[in-house]
Amino acid sequence: MEDKKEKPVKSGGNNVSDPRIIAFVCNWCTYSGADLAGTSRMKYSDNVRVIKLPCSGRIDPLFIVEAFKKGAKGVLVSGCHPGDCHYISGNYHSRRKYAAFRDLLGFLGVDLNRLEFSWISASEGNKWVSVINEFTDKIKSLNDNSSDIFKK
Amino acid sequence: MANIDEKLQKIAKDLLESGEVSLVIGFAVGSNPQRMRPVFITKAEDANRLSFNHHAVQDLAVFLKKPEVKKFGKIGIVVKGCDEKALNALIQEYQVSRDNIKIIGVECNGVIRQNLADKGETAVSEASVYDKCLICNEHTPILYDYLVPSEDPKLNLSGNLKPYARIEELDSMSPEEKNSFWEKEFDKCIKCYACRQACPLCYCSRCIVEKNMPQWIDTNLEETGNAQWNLIRAYHLSGRCIGCGECERACPVNIPLMLINEKMARDVNNLFGYKSGLDINAKPVFGVFSESDFNEFIK
Repeated sequence: MEDKKEKPVKSGGNNVSDPRIIAFVCNWCTYSGADLAGTSRMKYSDNVRVIKLPCSGRIDPLFIVEAFKKGAKGVLVSGCHPGDCHYISGNYHSRRKYAAFRDLLGFLGVDLNRLEFSWISASEGNKWVSVINEFTDKIKSLNDNSSDIFKK
Repeated sequence: MANIDEKLQKIAKDLLESGEVSLVIGFAVGSNPQRMRPVFITKAEDANRLSFNHHAVQDLAVFLKKPEVKKFGKIGIVVKGCDEKALNALIQEYQVSRDNIKIIGVECNGVIRQNLADKGETAVSEASVYDKCLICNEHTPILYDYLVPSEDPKLNLSGNLKPYARIEELDSMSPEEKNSFWEKEFDKCIKCYACRQACPLCYCSRCIVEKNMPQWIDTNLEETGNAQWNLIRAYHLSGRCIGCGECERACPVNIPLMLINEKMARDVNNLFGYKSGLDINAKPVFGVFSESDFNEFIK
């Protein structure tokens, strides 16, 4: 996994001022978009750790639960725009299940501000940068006590 | 009630005698008359054990997932309206073949809460039945081969009792308040998985909680993993749960699981206009998609 290769942030990522954000991204669009941002030397928040999966349809809700359990303060799920899925319909299935899963998380008391979804294509390096930066700012502005339900 | 029992027994006897089915699953009077228990009848002469009344709470469709039952091949089953929805969902998901099952539908005007029945409650009324009966639209099963009419009076709804009222209460709370409510509830969980065993739609032979490479859900004796288990159980039943309430009834520590199930059923209906178990020809809601699905939450 990508996050292991990176050097840990000084504060260990558990500090409120330095919240860890996990981004589950699809291989074909969002990862390439993030790659584009990197190769274009764009700067974005280093709070994010990217985990690449073949398709947004492969991003199981269990991954999100696991991320929260391990102490992530925010989780981003991102894939190809509707109609652009490399596997034709993975993102449509993903969208449908996450619409419901999001409601369930919210009902059980997870602050939905901590969960973000986006469609980012391979050419949208700048969108990746703005989504990550905005999300990081939002997480930093939140109280630190939510999503504890999974930590126990 | 004798009339219902006779009709049931006659149907079961004919089915077994003609060899149309080799097993009939139904209800029999328990050792305590306020409780009904499941009975498995393989011989026509035993059919006279069958009975039905407003204490027949259990959803018998749960037995259809058992290998011991499956090996009988053709099966007759006694179902109330809600149980029959579970059967529909199983047929939709190719777990049961419509050709292999004879549905003996029973009209039901509500089943009495077991805690009240144990105290001697014998009348079906708004106050004595389960919440699921108050919102029930399927007092007569949707699909059946035989139908036995009810002798209980129709359930009178004054509208004063609000079924699953806690859902709106919780919806209006802040995330922190919801979190602390559910944390308290899930802390009670003893990981017995009775909710799963009692559920007619939890049929995976190897449940996600039993998979340990990797282990997604902590299964130790502590509270760790309780929230994950209850969340994932509810998620796997979103858009599938038909609201029979067996999970909540089976729960030894009284976690209000039906609040979550009912909430998800409502949300799935709002989002996709789908209710589980109403049509055996409908595709399961998460097996299909539409290009115009709800997109508001995605940037």
